[in-house]
Amino acid sequence: MAEMYAVSNNNFMNIRKKSLLDDMKTFLFQNERRISLERAILFTKSHKQTEGEPQIIRRAKATAYILDHVKISIRPGELLVGNRTVRPRSGILSPEMDPYWIMKEMDTIHDRPQDAFYFTEADKRVYREQLLPYWSGRSMKDFINGKIPKNAQKAVDDLVIKLNQTDKGQGHIIMDFQAILNHGVGYYIDLLSRKSAAQPENNFFISAKVIFEAMARHFLRYRKEALQKAKSTEITEARKVELLEMADMCKRLSSQKPQSFYEALQLLWMTSIVGQYESNASSLSLGRMDQYLYPFYKKSVEEGVPGAFIREVLGDFYVKTNDVVLLRSRESAKCFAGFPTGYTVALGGLDQYGQSSVNELSYLMLDLYHSIRLPQPNLSVRINELIPRRFLNKTCETIRLGTGIPQIFNDEVIIPGFLSKGVSLDDARDYAVVGCVETTIPGKTYGLHDIALFNFLRIMEISLYELRDRDDLTFDQLVAYLLKRIDGYVKDVTIGSDIVDLAHREFAPIPFLSALVEDCIDNGKDITEGGARYNFSGVQGIGEANLADSLFVIKKLVFEQHEMKFSELVDALEADFEGKYKNLQNHVIHDFDKYGNDNPEIDMIAAKIFRHYALELGKYRNIRGGEFNAGAYTVSAHIPLGEDVGATPDGRKAHDQLADGGLSPMVGRDRLGPTAVLKSVSKIDNVLCVNGSLLNLKFQPSTLQGSSGIHKFADFLMAFTKLKIRHVQFNVQSRDTLFDAQKHPENYAGLIVRVAGYSAFFVDLNKKIQDDIIARCEHVL
Amino acid sequence: MTRGLVFNIQRYSIHDGTGIRTIVFLKGCPLKCPWCSNPESQGPVRPSVWMKDGAEEPLGKWMSVDEVLHEVEKDEIFYRTSNGGVTLSGGEVLMQADFAAELLKEVKALGISTAIETTGALPLKQIRKVLPYTDQVLFDLKIMDPDKARQIIGEKISTIKQNFEEALNSPAHVIPRIPLIPGYTTPPENLRQIRDYVTGLGIKEIHILPFHQYGSGKYEYLKRSYRLKDTPLLKQEEVNTVKAFFESAQIKTVVSGLE
Ligand code: SF4
Repeated sequence: MAEMYAVSNNNFMNIRKKSLLDDMKTFLFQNERRISLERAILFTKSHKQTEGEPQIIRRAKATAYILDHVKISIRPGELLVGNRTVRPRSGILSPEMDPYWIMKEMDTIHDRPQDAFYFTEADKRVYREQLLPYWSGRSMKDFINGKIPKNAQKAVDDLVIKLNQTDKGQGHIIMDFQAILNHGVGYYIDLLSRKSAAQPENNFFISAKVIFEAMARHFLRYRKEALQKAKSTEITEARKVELLEMADMCKRLSSQKPQSFYEALQLLWMTSIVGQYESNASSLSLGRMDQYLYPFYKKSVEEGVPGAFIREVLGDFYVKTNDVVLLRSRESAKCFAGFPTGYTVALGGLDQYGQSSVNELSYLMLDLYHSIRLPQPNLSVRINELIPRRFLNKTCETIRLGTGIPQIFNDEVIIPGFLSKGVSLDDARDYAVVGCVETTIPGKTYGLHDIALFNFLRIMEISLYELRDRDDLTFDQLVAYLLKRIDGYVKDVTIGSDIVDLAHREFAPIPFLSALVEDCIDNGKDITEGGARYNFSGVQGIGEANLADSLFVIKKLVFEQHEMKFSELVDALEADFEGKYKNLQNHVIHDFDKYGNDNPEIDMIAAKIFRHYALELGKYRNIRGGEFNAGAYTVSAHIPLGEDVGATPDGRKAHDQLADGGLSPMVGRDRLGPTAVLKSVSKIDNVLCVNGSLLNLKFQPSTLQGSSGIHKFADFLMAFTKLKIRHVQFNVQSRDTLFDAQKHPENYAGLIVRVAGYSAFFVDLNKKIQDDIIARCEHVL
Repeated sequence: MTRGLVFNIQRYSIHDGTGIRTIVFLKGCPLKCPWCSNPESQGPVRPSVWMKDGAEEPLGKWMSVDEVLHEVEKDEIFYRTSNGGVTLSGGEVLMQADFAAELLKEVKALGISTAIETTGALPLKQIRKVLPYTDQVLFDLKIMDPDKARQIIGEKISTIKQNFEEALNSPAHVIPRIPLIPGYTTPPENLRQIRDYVTGLGIKEIHILPFHQYGSGKYEYLKRSYRLKDTPLLKQEEVNTVKAFFESAQIKTVVSGLE
């Protein structure tokens, strides 16, 4: 019966008379967020059947089992199929990675301050009685806990380092979407079959093939679903036509490569969803969509596909990227508040000829954002000296919307950064953004970009207390001591990261994704085995601004002006500036200049320490033979990481937040406006932040008004480009608006603000982070 | 060496001339506008003090041309990308015309755009010193009625007009700026006089600056009363009405310096 409709016609592109994007948006957000155990249960079921087989094959079979059995649905109005869960925005648990954290939070997760989820009593029981007992003792977490050596554990206990990705799949990877779009699913099945026939003992080929075959079947399940839906009497004739076309397309894409923009988007989304089922990871980012989709876009436009249809499909894609939310533990949700799921997209930038690659699709993708305005996809614009002014203006107009999207990345510093790490010129120019603000070479990198956080300020605190009796100390000796302490912890963090790296190799190979990362198929190895072309690990140094401010105060107060002894200063810190030290806090805050005011004396303290750190870290190789790269961003971790540090000489009280962003000045301490901030930040050699950096700037909406406001803003960004600062993002909201939103959240359901490298709904953030964002609004004009 | 008395240097100014600018505020002003948002600059060119947060704070710092250059150069990269530069403001710049001229000359020699913001209340010889080195003149026009102007702000309209016309006859680009101060500059009769005056001289563009309260705190530091404490801000419609009034005479009217 269905075959009657197999001949596709173009009618379906014109049949929708009115855009349904708003309805799709509403559908996504109408219910509370829940935890879904579906993936966990299916995964576990499969695992019980594959006892004794190699881990990579077991994982592949489990992923295939999910693809074959997970409940699927086509939501009202959707033109693209593929939903990770039937119920939108469900949080997914991966007990195979870490079955324990949820046990501690089970009864509080529905009303925790950040990123709450509803967990049904029935599901809790299933979790306690079936999932937990099975995974206890055999999860990745158990492996990590057993393997962490004493010194690395001490660094964790000292609150200096935090290891990430110990409870979920390894994300922060961009698959080679261009390759799968150019070849189709069938090509990979054939290729992997041939490879496997030639090397039957290679488990990677077998595993990858298992998932690609399941992906093809998954497409066919959606075909069936679409046909089923089309039979329903409750749908309109127009919808029926669409569903039949969708069914047809699913059939084609189960083996063939896409022939149109529509098909390309469908395959792209499905690839992303399969990746999600495989690893439940954070940030399987989208890369340079305007580049790899452009040939499809161009072809469709030339073939007369209506613009409205193109917008509708792309809009559907935008909306769907908000369906996948990440369930994190309470601690982790503090660091990554508001669901940064990392559907990050990089637009524009240089091409392999060194020319600007901005095309019509780049414009369309920004333009469409104006009408969708959701936190995902997290659009980024790659800026360089050759950026067309028209595109730059469009970028500025989009930023003016106030949602913090797009963020800006600077080719003029990022490309040299990659070159310095042995990346080829072509590949360096092809970089994209992964996660929030990390940069990677798409389709070629396993970069562990988010593997660990490294708290500079805590190291300083430890050093100060260790030296407190040394009143004979000189400033240079103090700095030398601090640098030595940093070196020690750098070693620890690389050891800790390597354990997590190894754990993913042992427990969580991801053959499907690996097949879409270059050199893995040639090498016959999963990315966790080191199959990728580039193999980095990225460690984020945090607290630079506070560290520089503190050292400057110490230098002046103790060593140059001799106002107090070193030991006395440490006493004051221990007393948290209370009692007789109250005035001292005022004094150090107000009478000493701070990082962010274009004062070279302070800025160079930050620059020297960061350089030392980056070079030291770069001496280490991870277990895949790749370099460790330095990053300088906090996401929202400047709040929890601040909780780990007592009072500091810059006047910061114990447990107060650290400077936000990574390279931003301490909140409220920059007095001279955004040009001075950029100048300070530019003194830290941004080329060294190969893994990523983050700078927040706030602008009053009034400064961007009118065409000359846009022009001056664009000029400001060109100066940013020349100053070779890696990244910047903007919050353009007035404080009044945000205060009002805090008071009347019900009126601001759609208000999106920049958190850190990503945007989130303001009302989804806890009070502390809201306050931080408001505070960051105050001081820039 | 000439020194200037500077009371503030403000970076990233986008409302006072082309591009991104740094404003150098020079101390000293012969007038007494009741709405003045820099009251600390009024009076002779002399350092003074105010009380801020319980502590005495000096106002005004004698700086050499080189010292000021060193400060304004910090944002050079922004001037280059935005065709911005340095604006001298006050107080009244012309009170320190020799210093201003020397500074502007140096800045202009670097290919950086120069501007002054003036009220033109001094004898012509002062403005003549600075005009050769000035690309843009942002010229305040406030109260046109000679008697009121004298009583309320202490200015002589004939001097203002002479200065204005002198600027117009120089190569500098002159933009009249009208602060919209409710009850002072906004009465229709005053606006009409301003419009008639500028149209008569062939002016094609003006800036209007709606009243703000940013300066109110400073009066407390100075222990002076602030007459406009309770004056409400203008509504958007009121600003639009003024804008339309000027535009009806074919004068491009820019609000707050941003088109
Ligand atoms: S001319 Fe300017 S500085 Fe002088 S009193 Fe009037 S507003 Fe104040």
